[in-house]
Amino acid sequence: MSMNSPVTEQSLLIFAHQLTRIYPMGRTDVIGINRLDLQITTGEMVVLKGDSGSGKSTLLSLLAGLDRPTGGQLTVAGVDLAAATESVLTRYRRSVIGMVFQNFNLLPTLSVMENACLPALLAGLAHHQAMVRAEDLLRWLGLDHRKDHLPAQLSGGEMQRTAIARALINEPQIILADEPTGNLDSRSGETVIELLAELNRSRQRTVIIATHSNLADATATRLIRLKDGEITGLA
Amino acid sequence: MRTKRSIAVFRNGFESGPTTKVSRGDEVPPENKRTSGKLRFCVILLYVALSAASNSNFEAVAQQSDAGYLAVTGPCQLQFPTDHGAHPGYRTEWWYYTGNLQTDRERSFGFQLTIFRRRISPPDALKTWPDSASRWRTQQIYLGHAAVTDIAGGRHIFAESIARGALDLAGVRQSDGRTTVFVNKWSIDIRPDLHRLQATAPDFSLDLELHPVKPPVLHGDRGYSRKGDAAERASCYYSFSRLQTAGRVQIGEMLFEVSGSSWMDHEFSTASLQPGIGGWDWFSLQLDDGTDVMIYLLRQDDGNVHPASSGSLIDSGGGSIHLTASDFTVGVLDHWESPQSETTYPAAWAVRIDRGAIDITVGASLADQELQTAATTGVTYWEGSVDVSGTAKGRPVAGKGYVELTGYAGAVEALQ
Amino acid sequence: MKPIVLFFRLFVWFSWRYFMKHRVRALIVIAGIALGASVFTSVRLSIHASLESFSRSIDLITGRSDAVLSLPGGRVPEDILPAILRQPQVRHASALMTTYVKTTGDDADSFLLIGFDPFSDRPFRRWQVQPTDLAQDSSWLGLITDPFTLLLSEALARRNGWQVGDKVTLVHDRENTVFRVLGVLKPEGLGLAEGGQVALTDMATFQEFSGLPGVVDRIDLMLTRAASDIDLEALRRQFADLLPPGVQITSPSGAKESGRTMIRAYQLNLSVLSFASLFVGMFLVYSLVALNAASRRHELAVMRATGASGNLIFVLFLAEGALLGAGGWLAAIPLSALVVKYMLHGVSQTISTLFVRVHVDTIILEPWELLLSFAVTVLISLLAALQPAREAMLVEAGEALTTSRLQRSRKDTIGKLAVVSLLLIAVAVPLSRLPGYAGIPLAGYVAILSLFAGFALLAPWSLQRFGAALSPKLHRLAGVPAYLAGRYVRDSGTRTAISVGALITAVSLFTALVIMIHSFRETVQLWVYQTVSGDLFATGKMSAVNQFRDSIPDRVREGLQQLTAPVEPVHSRRFVLKSGDFSYELDLLDLEAFLRYGQFIWVAGEPATVQPRLIDGEGVLISEVFANRTGLAVGDRYLAQVQQSVVDLPVLGIVRDYRTKGGVVFYDRSAFTRSYVDPSWSTVRLFFRERPENLETALAALRREIIDRCGSHLDLIAGEELRGAILRVFDETFAVTFVLLLIALSIAALGITTTLAVQVLERLTQFNTLVAVGAAVRQIRATVFWEALLLIVAGEIAGLLCGFMLSYLLIFVVNVQSFGWTFIYSVNWKALAASLPLIVGTALLAALPAIRLIFKQPPAMLLRDR
Repeated sequence: MSMNSPVTEQSLLIFAHQLTRIYPMGRTDVIGINRLDLQITTGEMVVLKGDSGSGKSTLLSLLAGLDRPTGGQLTVAGVDLAAATESVLTRYRRSVIGMVFQNFNLLPTLSVMENACLPALLAGLAHHQAMVRAEDLLRWLGLDHRKDHLPAQLSGGEMQRTAIARALINEPQIILADEPTGNLDSRSGETVIELLAELNRSRQRTVIIATHSNLADATATRLIRLKDGEITGLA
Repeated sequence: MRTKRSIAVFRNGFESGPTTKVSRGDEVPPENKRTSGKLRFCVILLYVALSAASNSNFEAVAQQSDAGYLAVTGPCQLQFPTDHGAHPGYRTEWWYYTGNLQTDRERSFGFQLTIFRRRISPPDALKTWPDSASRWRTQQIYLGHAAVTDIAGGRHIFAESIARGALDLAGVRQSDGRTTVFVNKWSIDIRPDLHRLQATAPDFSLDLELHPVKPPVLHGDRGYSRKGDAAERASCYYSFSRLQTAGRVQIGEMLFEVSGSSWMDHEFSTASLQPGIGGWDWFSLQLDDGTDVMIYLLRQDDGNVHPASSGSLIDSGGGSIHLTASDFTVGVLDHWESPQSETTYPAAWAVRIDRGAIDITVGASLADQELQTAATTGVTYWEGSVDVSGTAKGRPVAGKGYVELTGYAGAVEALQ
Repeated sequence: MKPIVLFFRLFVWFSWRYFMKHRVRALIVIAGIALGASVFTSVRLSIHASLESFSRSIDLITGRSDAVLSLPGGRVPEDILPAILRQPQVRHASALMTTYVKTTGDDADSFLLIGFDPFSDRPFRRWQVQPTDLAQDSSWLGLITDPFTLLLSEALARRNGWQVGDKVTLVHDRENTVFRVLGVLKPEGLGLAEGGQVALTDMATFQEFSGLPGVVDRIDLMLTRAASDIDLEALRRQFADLLPPGVQITSPSGAKESGRTMIRAYQLNLSVLSFASLFVGMFLVYSLVALNAASRRHELAVMRATGASGNLIFVLFLAEGALLGAGGWLAAIPLSALVVKYMLHGVSQTISTLFVRVHVDTIILEPWELLLSFAVTVLISLLAALQPAREAMLVEAGEALTTSRLQRSRKDTIGKLAVVSLLLIAVAVPLSRLPGYAGIPLAGYVAILSLFAGFALLAPWSLQRFGAALSPKLHRLAGVPAYLAGRYVRDSGTRTAISVGALITAVSLFTALVIMIHSFRETVQLWVYQTVSGDLFATGKMSAVNQFRDSIPDRVREGLQQLTAPVEPVHSRRFVLKSGDFSYELDLLDLEAFLRYGQFIWVAGEPATVQPRLIDGEGVLISEVFANRTGLAVGDRYLAQVQQSVVDLPVLGIVRDYRTKGGVVFYDRSAFTRSYVDPSWSTVRLFFRERPENLETALAALRREIIDRCGSHLDLIAGEELRGAILRVFDETFAVTFVLLLIALSIAALGITTTLAVQVLERLTQFNTLVAVGAAVRQIRATVFWEALLLIVAGEIAGLLCGFMLSYLLIFVVNVQSFGWTFIYSVNWKALAASLPLIVGTALLAALPAIRLIFKQPPAMLLRDR
């Protein structure tokens, strides 16, 4: 889906029904998400709130196709994630989702530019095209002077901006951010939230942020509160 | 005189490989020419040939030739059948058969079978032998050359054989008036009224019975055949100029019953070619009026024919007259250039012999009867079947024969 | 094309840069692989060179013959040559004689003198004389015209500085004879036979020189095209009337095949041994790739999360293995160039001593061998990377989200591994019982591999048990660090176990070879003192190198009969015969006298009852090697053609014998004379009837008397000297083996270095936590030291166990099937007791770099990095 294509406000992007994820841990089971119903339409900016262990990350990884539900239905952008094969999931991750992590998860041996390019290359884009896209993004993110640096040489905010570039390179419909500000000082954190809101506003990306900070509350179109794997409140 | 100097100029060692050469061979090892060039200057018959590694041993050999070898200096007092046998006191000797044969269906063949004997060290060298010498020890070696010309098939195939004259591998045996000359698996068996030739090579074989039609002819002066200026530049030389022949020729898998006419020479000597003689042309011709002709021309380096060149004219009854150089003329009518050796040979001649009122042309029955013994001897010469036509005593005659042309490709052989 | 480019780009970004970042680890692994690969390559190349040299020499001497006439144990009368030649089936025939000769002078090397007829030999063998400028008759024709002339190979002429025209004195068992050098051969054809240690002479000269008129060693035949299809059996029937009794027609390839078979068995043994080094190197690759996979687990998850497929990850890690293998192979090339020089000498020496004379001075860079070593190296590296790559590919993208997720327990894997490994070990025993194929103990090698793999795979489980059992005791004995170390060893799982697997392999190889070589040497020593007994051995000059094929000259024999010294002679005549393609010796000796002074080492048969029958000539004794090669057992009949006689005797017993070139059959010499023909004798050993007070003096006097009576045409060697020489040859033979062993051990040490270093690096945070909770740095170092010690000791114990099993396989399976002999099993406890602690020490030294790594960086920095 191209960045500039018009998106209907009403189109349903994420549909979850009775979504459940249970982790077997030794002799007992740990509940990640329990019978959750959720619908998100294109263009929303959703903030998932909740304490540690509330199920935020579990929901996010299910949405990202990084994990599979143990029960219920989950369809994102028309892909049935509960039934998808590993290769469908891989393709889904490449094209539908852009991920931003709390601890950035940049590959230490790759430069800023290379980290940003990586998903595009993995998706089969030619190297020079990936470079052009990455340069655009890095310029937009204010990182063009850092593009040949390795992650270890960057500040936290720069690392997270690199991660955002990486998340955007394949022009995904959905940006998923897992505590994107968790490892950042407050100023950098604000910048990151600002960037995500900007993406949502001017580029019509659907953005879902899992966080327990309040930095993103103001920009959210919807707030979802989770506790013990269940939705306890909406705003 | 038919000296086949070509016999065996061995290179410095042996390449193992088939000893049969088909003259269509398309490659000439470069060494071939080099060796031949060398030989131009070391004109000692077989000995040189056999010791090709050094071309400087001419002097040594010349001295050795005094070291107990017998020399031919006058009429040979040949007695048969004893003199069909070997004359080991002389350095060189050969039994030489050529002939023209055909099948019932007129398919024509030429053949050649020669066994040479060579004494490789002088009698004096016996003194260096150990007291109880091995039975392998000998001073005599034997070489055989055999060739078949398949005129219709356009093929000329050649093979050779070599062995020491010891341990029954090669030699000459005589008993009960019968002489057997043999080298390895080849043999010539001479009885009073029958010569039997047997030779087997990988690609062909000969098994022929020859019946003399005429008695032996002693060439020159009672067999004393001059080959140069000095008295001892000579050989003892006699021929059976016409032998009725029948037998089998096998080429590859094909066996032919053949009959025809052959010629036999037996010659021995000690002396080598004299300096200045570069080669010779030798003719043995059998005319259909019963006449046989032998002529050899010793070609000098200056282009002239040496006065010792001579021949014999044998009538149908076997009577012969000696021809001196002034009795005949030989003019070359045509040439042929060998594609393999790039040597040019005469290929047709006009021969006039005044004393027999013979005026004939002689031409090769197959152009390519060149022998290139590159792998083993490195010598190249032409020896082949010829056709004859013309007149004798005013009447038309035809005939067949054999011609040998040496010294054209550089390798010289002449008794110096 | 594009996927490949992408793959390489990713490989550079992801793997190559990581290697570069941790290049010391990668270099150590590459060094280990390089060592293994260079050993493997140079061993292969050396044997290949020997094999080639042998085959080439045989081919050059065999020439283009289709069949060979020979008389077992004797020579062929030359008279039959012309008759054979004139058979319609025969195209060419050439007689040949060969003998090893040398020039006067003690340090002169022997070379092969070939006697032949240059004319009839012409179709068979190729040779050329070098042209020379000397104005003398240098032609080869001089071989025939001039008695006692020869042509030298270029190598021989160059080494001795001989030139055309020089006089050379050759030694034979009769007289020394002066030869004149007629020419020098070009280095081609026959001029290259025997590695160029060859000279040609005319048959007449050869017979006169060797005093063997009327006979030739063999007659080579080339058959006509029509006859070349018929088998030798048919030819034998057709020639039956022509051939004197005993003369046989054999295929010329027989000698070559039996020689090649023996060398191949040796090649395989050494290849397997050198492969062990590569095998040990495989553990290095495994541990590094596994480490990379484990420590980059999180990155892998990120890769997966950003769209990399599992297969891509799998191939990336396989490629890491391949890169290590290829790098190791590349590094092995210059290393091989060094190693091969040593190997070539050792290997060709051994082959010459054990099997057939070879002369090798150059290595041929055989592309096939290089390719093989490349393929083997990369393949084992790939294999080693396979398991870690599979693990890496299974990393789930979801792990990217979590900073620490609990590692799933691997207990079940370890348990499963233990079962598999026990199965592998168990299967080694029945496998080893399978018969060998064509002298190759394939099943034996598979059993060995299975044993190695089994013990290596058992390592995780046994470490777990070992750690669990030891840590409480260690706590009491050596305090907390030792306790922690024990716990770590218990819980460290597969990864630690892998380097222990390397150690197990190396130690077991070491143990097994120490035991095997010791057993071998002890048995050989026993054999040497019992069976190679005697105070003085006398044999004709050059007789030994010519395999004692000729009896001693009459003059010498008469001289020896007149000895006045108080000695008893035991005469012996040896015939080299063939059974199928396999050469052996028939040793006819004076058994009655021999058994008074010496004895056999019996494998089968009751000495007390058999010996009298043996002395009476009722039957033969066969060596173990002969029995194994032919399948003959006690009670079977031994059949052989010896010269003109057909020998048919029962086998009375089987004895050990370690003479190197094939098996032996013993029979009483006087009984042989009675039943067949007087074989005369070629060797005599003299026993003093009474032990002289001063052996040295008595021996010196005896030598003097012999020289006075027989002249100097005897080689005399004191029994002690001979026995010493045999044992020295034995020791030299195993020199190569020990080098291979040392290399395998050093690769294992490298493995320990990397594993421990890696583990230390991985646990730096953990160590810092320990420091934070009050551990002293010294204590943490002690912990790591204890870990190393525990791992090494565990590896040694398992290695010892494996080694004992392996030694059994080597002695009773591999040796029997490869060489036909066994030894009396004997463990060199002393050597093991001395060397095993040494290995522990060395391995601990290898652990030092890892221990020193701890707190090389200030703890704070490490903590911040996390």
